[in-house]
Amino acid sequence: MKNATVQLASLCMVLSAGAAEEQLSAVITPAFTPITWERLVDARNEPHNWLMYSGTIDSQRYSLLDDINVDNVDRLEMKWAYQIPVIDRAETVPLVVDGIMFITEAPSNVVAVDARTGREYWRYDHEMPDDLRICCGRNNRGVAILGETLFMSTLDAHLVAIDARTGNLLWDTEVAPHESGYSKTAAPLIVKDKVVTGVAGGEFGIRGFIDAYDPATGEREWRTYAIPGPGELGNDTWSGDSWKTGGAATWITGSYDADLNQIYWGTGNPGPDWNGDVRLGDNLYSDSVLALDGDTGSIVWHFQFTPHDVHDYDAIQIPILADIKFNDRERQVMMWANRNGFFYTLDRSNGQFLAGKPYAAQTWAQGLDPVTGRPIRVPGMAPTYEGIMVSPPIVGATNWYSPGYSQDTGLFYVTSFDGEQEFFKRDEDYQEGERFTGGGGRYTSPMDAFHSSIRAINPETAEIEWEFPIMPRSSAGITTTAGGLVFTGSADGYFFALDASTGEELWNISLGRRVHAAPITFSVNDKQMISIASGNVIYTFGLRN
Amino acid sequence: MIFNLNRLSPKLLRVALLVIVLGISSYPSGWLFNSAQAEDAGNLYNTAVDIRMGNRYFERQCSRCHGFDAKGNDETGAPDLTGRLRRASSDTGIFSIIREGVPGTAMIPVATDVTNATVWQLVAYINSLRYDPASVELAGDAKTGGKLFAGKADCSVCHMVDGQGGRLGPDLSRIGENKTPEDLLLAMLDPDEEVAPRWWRVRAAGADGVIREGFRMNEDSFSLRIMDIDSNLWSFQKRDILNYERFEKSTMPSYAKSLSDGELDDLVAYLFTLRREVLP
Repeated sequence: MKNATVQLASLCMVLSAGAAEEQLSAVITPAFTPITWERLVDARNEPHNWLMYSGTIDSQRYSLLDDINVDNVDRLEMKWAYQIPVIDRAETVPLVVDGIMFITEAPSNVVAVDARTGREYWRYDHEMPDDLRICCGRNNRGVAILGETLFMSTLDAHLVAIDARTGNLLWDTEVAPHESGYSKTAAPLIVKDKVVTGVAGGEFGIRGFIDAYDPATGEREWRTYAIPGPGELGNDTWSGDSWKTGGAATWITGSYDADLNQIYWGTGNPGPDWNGDVRLGDNLYSDSVLALDGDTGSIVWHFQFTPHDVHDYDAIQIPILADIKFNDRERQVMMWANRNGFFYTLDRSNGQFLAGKPYAAQTWAQGLDPVTGRPIRVPGMAPTYEGIMVSPPIVGATNWYSPGYSQDTGLFYVTSFDGEQEFFKRDEDYQEGERFTGGGGRYTSPMDAFHSSIRAINPETAEIEWEFPIMPRSSAGITTTAGGLVFTGSADGYFFALDASTGEELWNISLGRRVHAAPITFSVNDKQMISIASGNVIYTFGLRN
Repeated sequence: MIFNLNRLSPKLLRVALLVIVLGISSYPSGWLFNSAQAEDAGNLYNTAVDIRMGNRYFERQCSRCHGFDAKGNDETGAPDLTGRLRRASSDTGIFSIIREGVPGTAMIPVATDVTNATVWQLVAYINSLRYDPASVELAGDAKTGGKLFAGKADCSVCHMVDGQGGRLGPDLSRIGENKTPEDLLLAMLDPDEEVAPRWWRVRAAGADGVIREGFRMNEDSFSLRIMDIDSNLWSFQKRDILNYERFEKSTMPSYAKSLSDGELDDLVAYLFTLRREVLP
């Protein structure tokens, strides 16, 4: 093989390192350098890249790039489009690493493309069994990167590691048995030297958990169940054996505070979703945010938004972390617009409730306890065999789609839906691998009858500062920029930019199909770009030259 | 058409399978076919005549995408059906794909008036394209070959297996699935015989005048992307390329002289074991 090595060395031009590379990088897409944990913690300060699902570990989705701004955003034009070959809906949030974009595709594939042109370097197609249990379509929302390795959740509930330079599979770990109803769709979160990831399957009577894996080997380092086992604090909030099949899936990406060394992760509905008779009690830690120790995964604190949920009001939102002035005091807060229709500001160091108000139509609670933040229920709003009208509907006042926060305006932005639905319950027995929902819901009015909007909320008062109406309802995430912009999309296929201060519409383009993902922004060769998935296509925009 | 009488007795079984398959189509969209729930009773149409009938149907209806040799077609995205199938692990799985199609792809279901018997014959034909690797007897010793791979033959400098190894050649983690032992031996003796375009080499000078050389990861009408020997990824716009050379030969040396026949046999035996464990 010595011969081969010599041959290879001779055939590849040896590049003089350092200065020459730097000089050339302006002309040709450079190779990416390994992504260290330090770079991930400091991701905001390399705004030319989009290094994780929510942009930064505080999940603000706020970029310091301002080349595209309130004065010139109407000069955006399409630079390229990438068509995902498998026809499904794209919920992907790509990463951009030094000029290379990593896009996930349905069902669980990854493609690496040149971020300037959208043209492919390599692809990884995940082999899938033919007996998947998935609730809501063949989705994948993105990868995480550490070093030179990408980490991806797959629909068959595996976590895979992929070489970011070649697309080679490095390891493939089964996180949970897919045949029991587990699946995985969310981008993992890197926390120091671990890959942290949750699991989906809340409609199949699973028992949710958050896991951490060794990025080099795929070995599991810790697992924290989102439902306490026997003898653990909170297990008695489930009647009988209902904790075993209580759901509390963890199907979206969390956030991390490096100073507090706490991981924040939302949990989903208790199961069965709409029949609470078989799981009496608060059902901890369903519909909660969990603060986990960054090293051990042990629960530091929890806050349950919706105790004993019977409406599928998952707390599956991305926790946005910021340090803000609250009642004239600097506070480390977490902002959360919940599927249940309430917006919350919590102290993220200890989970203390600071403020909370409805931000969308809701009829199930009279309000929140001003001290604890616990909802005060309206009697008689639980699903019945005949059906009862409740707001928000099952899809929620918002859902998994990322909210955003701007450090310039201090506002929190969320896609909200003022809808209502008739909820009904059914008696169902648990059968492993089968749906276990205990009911459902139906609309009695057409979607166009409802009101949807992008809402800007002041986290100190929980008051809505402005709203921009859209229709019929959106499932797009939000990204904000130092250019004073809020970027998002709509179900009727628009991608648009609003003024972050006023909500005024500044630019829109019809992309032809539903926007089901959150935008990202990055720059290549010092030119700011913005990408969004619509239908099965990733569109990338930049300013007209 | 000839039918064996003994096929009539399991007729009920076939009906049961049909019911299961039809039942699947009533699942909400987003569900894939659920053939694993069906009891895999095996294909009852698997005589030589059935295979021939299946072949005939395949050539007429399937070859446009999958090719007359069933080796697939990159342009249409139709997979190679002669190696391990990625979407089906059983006869019923193959049956379901033919009957139901694969949602979101160009693989549409066969017409509803095509009988199940014909579909089973297709299954038999597709199965006939492959063989059971366990039935292959090889002269070499796989364990010794594995040591050679990482040792004397130095293959892992360039090739990855299960995440370990280099990036300067194809990932061989599953090479045993789609290559016969003969293919594997030939590739070691004469690497230039068949070099996939992904492993052609390109030497190009961009607008900066610097010549870069590497493996051709992807090339299209207007652009080119390569990986150099240090695993750096580079992207060129063709209009900026000052000169362009392409080498369609392999960078791998022939092992005809550097390894003995016995060692080659051992390496072949090892490579032939490289396949993904069968999914449950």
